[in-house]
This record gives sequence, C-alpha cells and structure tokens, in this order.
Amino acid sequence: MSSEPRFLIVDDFSTMRRIIRNLLKEIGYANAEEAEDGVAALSMLRATKFDFVVSDINMPNMDGFALLKQVRADETLKGLPFLMVTAEAKKEDIVNAAQNGANGYIVKPFTKATLEEKVQKIMKQHA
Amino acid sequence: MGHSDGFTQHPIEQAVAQTAPPAPAMDVWGDPANFRPAPAGPGGAADDEAHGAGGGNTELYQRIGHLTRTLHNALRELGLHESLADARDHLPDARDRLAYIARVTGEAAEKVLNAVDRARTVQDMLAGGAKGLESRWAAVALYADGGAERATPAGCELIGDTRSFLRSIDEQAVQTNAILTEIMMAQDFHDLTGQVIRKVVALSQELEEQLVHLLIDATPPEQRRRIEPARLEGPVVDAGQRTDVVTDQAGVDDLLASLGF
Repeated sequence: MSSEPRFLIVDDFSTMRRIIRNLLKEIGYANAEEAEDGVAALSMLRATKFDFVVSDINMPNMDGFALLKQVRADETLKGLPFLMVTAEAKKEDIVNAAQNGANGYIVKPFTKATLEEKVQKIMKQHA
Repeated sequence: MGHSDGFTQHPIEQAVAQTAPPAPAMDVWGDPANFRPAPAGPGGAADDEAHGAGGGNTELYQRIGHLTRTLHNALRELGLHESLADARDHLPDARDRLAYIARVTGEAAEKVLNAVDRARTVQDMLAGGAKGLESRWAAVALYADGGAERATPAGCELIGDTRSFLRSIDEQAVQTNAILTEIMMAQDFHDLTGQVIRKVVALSQELEEQLVHLLIDATPPEQRRRIEPARLEGPVVDAGQRTDVVTDQAGVDDLLASLGF
C-alpha cells in the first residue's frame, strides 16, 4: 500500500459521502473519491487504483453486496480492503457481508472513533 | 352476473392508464348494471332455479340470492366508496410531500456541512495566527527577561498573560473542531431518514397500485396481492421489538467475532 492510501467512498446520499470523506480526512486519510452507487464505483475501481473501499449497502442500480461480490470476483480487485458502512442492521446482512468477503461492517449512525478503529484495523491487516 | 364481461372490457393496464388522473370509481367499474345479480322475484333466474329444484330449496336459494345481493352491494360500496377512492387519489400527493421533506432536509444538511467547512477554515486560520503571534511574543519575553530596564513588572505580566491566551486559542480550536465534527456527524440524519422516506414512498406506490386494482377488480381484500417487503430494509425503526437485528456497533462486532471474523 502506498504512503497515502486512496479511498473510494460509495453511498447514494451525498451527505453521507461528505461526512465519511471529512472523517477520513480527520483521521489522516485525505485522499478520497466518491461514487454514488455500485455501478459507478466498479467503473472507477477498474479505471484507477484505489487502496480502500468504504461502501454503503442499500443503493440503487448496484447495491453494496453486489459490488462486494464483483470486487471479490475480479482478479485485480479481489484483495481490496472493503468496509461496509450501512443502516442495514439485520444479522442476516452482517453475516452475508462477512461471508462474501467484507473486511468490516459499521452500522449507521456511527462515530468517528468507530470508523477510525475499523479503518486502522483493516489497514494493519493489509499492511 | 355480468362481472366477467365487465372485467374483460377493462383490462387492468388499460384502466390504470385511463385513471391518470384518477377517474371516478364508477368509470373504472363500467356499467353498474353489469353487476346486478339475477333478480330473486318472479321471472328471474334465481326464481326459476328455485322452482325447478323444488320448494324445499326455495329458502336456500333465497338466502343465496340475499347473500349475492349483499356481496354485490358490499363490492359496489367498496368500489364507489369515496374514502377508498380518496385514499388512492391522495397517495401521489403524500409521496410528493415526502419527497419534498427528503429534498429540504437534504439541502439543510448540505448547508450545515458547508457552514461546518467554513467554520473549520476560520478556526484553522485563528489557531494558525495565534500560534505565529505566540512565537513572536516568546522572543519579546526573552528580551524582557534581560532586566528591569527592558520591561516593567506589569509589562512582563502582560507578556505572560498574552502568551498564555494565545496558547489557549490553539487548545480551544481543538475543542471547537471536535464540536464541529459532532455537528457534521449529526447530519447523517439525512441519510437515515432519507432511506426510511424512500421505503415509505415505495410502499405508498405499491399501495396505490393495490387500490387501483381493488377499485377495478373489486377483489376481496384477502386476495389482494401482498406487498412484499424489500429485502434491504434500511434503518431499523423498531429495534426494541425485533430479535433479527443488531441495535448498535457492539452487536455487529460480537456477531462477527462469533463467526470468527
């Protein structure tokens, strides 16, 4: 991973994308871009190198689960750290995310400390 | 009865198209005469059948005729009932209002985030300026310490107080930034409420379609197509009454840990 990891924030709500972007900046990750759904995210991931994905689940066109599956099925993207940040609190969805290869799962509303903890933990695992 | 004829002449899709803007329920139903049951009186089919079947069955057929009439009236009442038609007619308006709420709250959240960004910039400038001034005052303090002829005791005290104040500005900027982060985080309500609103809008869309079908077909309520809940539910609004959801991040972490993640 490069010295300044590049994040992709995927959420259909611009407010949430902005909040996550600002939080990442506060915890030391200023290099971030945004996508509004899984389709746009996948296109960006295939076009440019990213080091970390922070994705919502419930989105139009392509949801976070579908995006995760596409990422894990892609030879060049499959090792990408993938953190779910979502309002979906069903145990079934959490298990589903884990079984499909998500590296972390945060339920909204969340705190800066929670995001920082999960991001740092995943960063360490992929160092 | 003429129900089947009435329905084949008014396919659902065609009728839905015709009801935008919604037409009175009667227009959707077609000719009410089509729904009139066979008369139970002399010359009617029910009467003929009753006589043909024997006097013992007369009461039975009368009851069936009565039930048929009651059912027909109930169905017609259901189809023509103003409140039902009104409910259907008001759903688009309700959706528009919800969409308005989502839009306005979204704009408000963006305004707050813009204000937070501006406040951070101002705060950073203030802290940076204070830091620069403090280092300059540090040089003055060093000079003043050289002897009484360089600064009076009151002057030395003023220098100390000024440096202390400038340092506190930097500390207060850290606190202010933490508060600004809280304000920023609180704007996540837009995402959470927005998801709920989107789900309610989708449900109201379903409901409207169901009402249109009901008005057209006059099917009994228990045969109405069930509104299937979307698999992804969005924010949990009744966590206290459910066991299939987690209520906080600790619940997520415990669940994942139990699975070995």
